[in-house]
Amino acid sequence: MLTRRELLKNSVTLLGSLSLGACLKQDIFKEKFRELSEEEKRRFLKRLEERYEKRYGIKFSVRDTPPQKGVVFGYALDLSRCIGCRRCVYACVMENNQSRDIPIQWIRVLRIKKGHFAPSDFESAEHYYNPEKVPEDGYIYIPVQCQQCENPPCVKVCPTKATWKEPDGIVVIDYEWCIGCRCCMAACPYWARRFNWKEPYIPEKEINPDTHYYGNRPRMRGVVEKCTFCIQRTRNGRYPACVEACPVGARKFGNLLDPESEVRYILDNFSIFRLKAELNTEPKFFYFFSLGR
Amino acid sequence: MRLLKELSVFFKGFTDVTFRGGRVFYVWMSILTLFILAGILAYIHQLRHGMIITHMRDQVSWGFYVSNFTFLVGIAAAAVLLIIPAYLYSFKPIKRIVIYGELLAISAVITALLFIFVDFGRPERFWHAIPFIGTANFPYSILTWDMLVLNSYLFLNLLIVLYVGCNTYFGREPDKHILMPLIIISIPLAVAVHTVTAFVYNGLSARPFWNASILAPRFLASAFCSGPSLLIIIFQVLKRFTGFRIEDRAMEKLAEIAAYAMAINIFLMLAELYKEYYSKTIHLTSLRYLYEGLGSYKRFVLPMRVSLLLNILGLLFFLIPETRKKAPALIAGAVSMFIGIWIEKGMGLVVPGFIPSPLGEVYEYSPSVYEILIALGVFSSGAMLYTLSLRAAISLETGKLRHPFAPPPVIEKEGLTAGDIMTKEVIAVLPETSVDEIAGLLIKHRISGIPVVDNERRVLGIVSESDIIYREIHRDPEILERLGGIVLPAYRQTIKKGLTAGEIMTSPPVTARVDTTLRELVELIVDKRIKRVIIIDSSEKLCGIVSRIDIVKAIERLHS
Repeated sequence: MLTRRELLKNSVTLLGSLSLGACLKQDIFKEKFRELSEEEKRRFLKRLEERYEKRYGIKFSVRDTPPQKGVVFGYALDLSRCIGCRRCVYACVMENNQSRDIPIQWIRVLRIKKGHFAPSDFESAEHYYNPEKVPEDGYIYIPVQCQQCENPPCVKVCPTKATWKEPDGIVVIDYEWCIGCRCCMAACPYWARRFNWKEPYIPEKEINPDTHYYGNRPRMRGVVEKCTFCIQRTRNGRYPACVEACPVGARKFGNLLDPESEVRYILDNFSIFRLKAELNTEPKFFYFFSLGR
Repeated sequence: MRLLKELSVFFKGFTDVTFRGGRVFYVWMSILTLFILAGILAYIHQLRHGMIITHMRDQVSWGFYVSNFTFLVGIAAAAVLLIIPAYLYSFKPIKRIVIYGELLAISAVITALLFIFVDFGRPERFWHAIPFIGTANFPYSILTWDMLVLNSYLFLNLLIVLYVGCNTYFGREPDKHILMPLIIISIPLAVAVHTVTAFVYNGLSARPFWNASILAPRFLASAFCSGPSLLIIIFQVLKRFTGFRIEDRAMEKLAEIAAYAMAINIFLMLAELYKEYYSKTIHLTSLRYLYEGLGSYKRFVLPMRVSLLLNILGLLFFLIPETRKKAPALIAGAVSMFIGIWIEKGMGLVVPGFIPSPLGEVYEYSPSVYEILIALGVFSSGAMLYTLSLRAAISLETGKLRHPFAPPPVIEKEGLTAGDIMTKEVIAVLPETSVDEIAGLLIKHRISGIPVVDNERRVLGIVSESDIIYREIHRDPEILERLGGIVLPAYRQTIKKGLTAGEIMTSPPVTARVDTTLRELVELIVDKRIKRVIIIDSSEKLCGIVSRIDIVKAIERLHS
């Protein structure tokens, strides 16, 4: 027979393990963000904001601005203007809270000798060029980032549906749902995805607190990240950081469905091409030469 | 209550036979435990600091773990290899060892899954990939398919092994109507396991090195080399260190299969080399990295050349019947093939897929100390699992682990072999001996059959009473002889002259090696409906004969 004292002790243990279970459910067995109700999403974003505020000591906003109807984003890059200064790379790092100590950069600028450029072959590309001054004679520069494919190979291979294409064409990742298997990295023909090999480090002073859940909010180690066309900006009517940073206006961005947009003007008036078109990934990132160079 | 009691009896017996052993066993287990502990410590380090402690980077984002995963799936597919000859062609010596192959498949699948697990950046979220519980990307993600197929394969093999194990424990024969369908399903599943693993790489258009349709066939071919090689090594070790008995013929068969598979593997590789080197597209770069090196980047050149050499060596050892039959050469062949494939289909397959990167970058990868420690730990846990399950299986087979009320396994208990019970003085004849002479010998010695040998006592066939009687009834020459008569008129002459042993003998005769167990002899005699088995030594020479009466005498001896 149980004595009253034993009964009491047992129920305390039971309660304890139940609350531990609740904690586990919250932290490990949490549900996928996409499948939460609006109410639950609000609460979860609030929790995230509190967590980030505690860590970085500054007011944070983590939004989940949905895609706008009638908008599909497209990007056009004028290779004849690009001077290879990498300002876009650094603006992107600052805007999107990329890890600094083991640097993660979503944009890679390639330097290729004039006459050696082919949109499918980058074997002669230099990644770590470092001259006194750019542009250099005899070279062209090709910035490469996520091409926001219409047929994204990375989405197809993900075993957990942690990455997908949004209605406005942006391929996003749910950092809470990624298991870090890195199949998407093997599948991407543009080497656009990066992995957090360690806990990312961003100096408190440099943190950008204006974030989107699928975009630039601080990530954790062991998950994959990539360019989202600055989802936190573009869904609120602003340009991506790289477009703003480009000193020569080589980068153009807009709504592909809007016939009046700048991007559409370029598609209609220049001969554009896409990288590795033969792979049938249908990028929404277009390259063109507006001038002879 | 009764169930609990039964279970405790079983577990006591089980722990007795699996966890108690001789010195070799304890030393082996201690080494494995040490490696596992080191692996766990290294893995904790990886959990705490992230995968930065590996040498993988964004350029080469899969490395040692995924390489070993791929290799082990190949080993797991090996079980199928034993099943096909054993059940479809009823090749008896292999049938006995099928269960050990399936146990190996189970351990290999579990080890492979462990390798995938340690490769996850967020292992605590692995359940996101499970159908219904998480959000599996079915049917698009091939990794999802791979996990499904691997787990079904694991489950099916577990089912088979448990079913056979339980029946043996209670001293019953497993029901063929239950067992056979399970085994038949496991064959295509084993092929599927490896094909789907190949497809994980194969489907990625971003990686031309993997995006070649020859990949899945090559995977299968190389699996059929490494799997049997590992089994040969394991059986040789068991033979040396334990009382485990295995027929040489089974081992030779495994080596033969591995040899053909290796020939196909090398052929497929050459086909690939030709295509890339002759067409010389930009996709040649990965292959050039492997076999020539790209400028100063040549970390893979030496290992790949060694692998090629080992593969060819293994092929030669296994292809030539003389070396296949000798234990040292057999082991040498198995070891070289195993290591050769481990290099080729582990690191040699996974890493060059990432070199050059889709943007043309070359990052030279080799595993870090932590990666090696973790991999060692994972391999060791697989080895420990296999060791323990093997011990349980052997104890079940020999009757050491058995239900107290189950009938004891009668025949094999004493470990009698053909050598112990055979008649050693055997009368044999040369092929030229006339039938009349043979009939005289049969009557004189009161025997029912006579082996026919060549000058070096190598067995060519057997003439039994029934061969002689059969000839009396069917005087007509057989179809082949008739044809011979038409083509060569002189042939008719030989038929008339009176038949010889060489012409009427049954050839090839049913033979068995000296170390064949009594049980196997009984099975042979019942299966083939014969009266006697010719016993030969390792050089195929006649050394005795076991007739039905010899077996009756042996059983009588056992029971008294």
